[in-house]
Amino acid sequence: MDLLDKYKKTWNNQPEEAHNLSKVEIYKMAHSKSTSIVKWIFIIGMLEFLTMIPFLFMETDTKHFEEMNILWLRKALDTISCAIVSFFVIKFYLNYKSISSLDNTKTLMDKIVKTRRTVRNYIFTGLSFFAIAILVMAFSSINNQFINETPIFKIGIIAIFIFIGAIFLGLFWLFYQLLYGILLKKLNKNYKELAKLDELN
Amino acid sequence: MQKDLESKFLSDFEKNQNIVHKICRMYTTDQHAHKDLFQEITIQLWKYYSKFRGDAKFSTWMYRVALNTAISLYRKSTRIVKTQDISSVAYKISSVDYDDTEELQLKQLYRAIHRLSDIEKALIFLYLEDKPYKEISETLGISSVNARVKMNRAKEKLKKILNP
Repeated sequence: MDLLDKYKKTWNNQPEEAHNLSKVEIYKMAHSKSTSIVKWIFIIGMLEFLTMIPFLFMETDTKHFEEMNILWLRKALDTISCAIVSFFVIKFYLNYKSISSLDNTKTLMDKIVKTRRTVRNYIFTGLSFFAIAILVMAFSSINNQFINETPIFKIGIIAIFIFIGAIFLGLFWLFYQLLYGILLKKLNKNYKELAKLDELN
Repeated sequence: MQKDLESKFLSDFEKNQNIVHKICRMYTTDQHAHKDLFQEITIQLWKYYSKFRGDAKFSTWMYRVALNTAISLYRKSTRIVKTQDISSVAYKISSVDYDDTEELQLKQLYRAIHRLSDIEKALIFLYLEDKPYKEISETLGISSVNARVKMNRAKEKLKKILNP
């Protein structure tokens, strides 16, 4: 007899749980709040949508756009921002709704990963807008306040702006990786393990 | 209607709850986490119960939702920092009229299973529950061939842990 067959017999003979739950206890559990990662992804995703909105609709730098005579660009960016937020919120919600424990494990994980990716793409779009705003501010400063300065000074100003922007984006990225890294550590590991199987055969 | 559905769910679940307990024993190592995972599985089962059409057996459907929860949805409670408690399996099982050797073997088996990856645990669980490859591949969403390959590896790994 195979070693595992022996253990299989033991498995089949294992006694029932000492404290089986009553219907009342099951009822209470079924109606308690879920702490699943899907729920966390939804909550965090919604928070991200909210925190990104100020970046997409920064009001303070309108004058820079005016100074550079590109107010049309500003207006176009605002319209695009609105469309982007709506698009991502709808996509995120549809993705979230499509997640179901009834799917097979791989499909379920695919959908969770896809939902997270939607938020990630949204964040990167928001940050790109932020980067554009930084660059516009840098160029408008050069063209207005520092118009008579040497080219080296101008390059220095741009470098400082880029540096500050990069630090900010870097911190944001780090925070983001940490947040989802912790949340999805287990899922990512399992996802990779299943995906690797398909590559092997 | 909702009440009927609920009472049917409760009696179906009450009868089959041992399946969920077994999964919790495989995926957790202490009582607190066991209860946590059990609760999340119960929530998921109830959430989708209205979509369970009865064309499959309730237990088959339960395997899928419960394993999905253990593998993908459940996050280990961070409140517990405790490492693996080997004797913990014992507290969960009533030992009345239960053979000592069998109890020891069962403990060994769970201890070995705890050292497998989450996916391997699922495969071994379905093997121990005598599920056909077709059902295993459908539950996990991988091809039958891949399920077979992975199953053989998981079984070999388990054997090595059990009998080094």
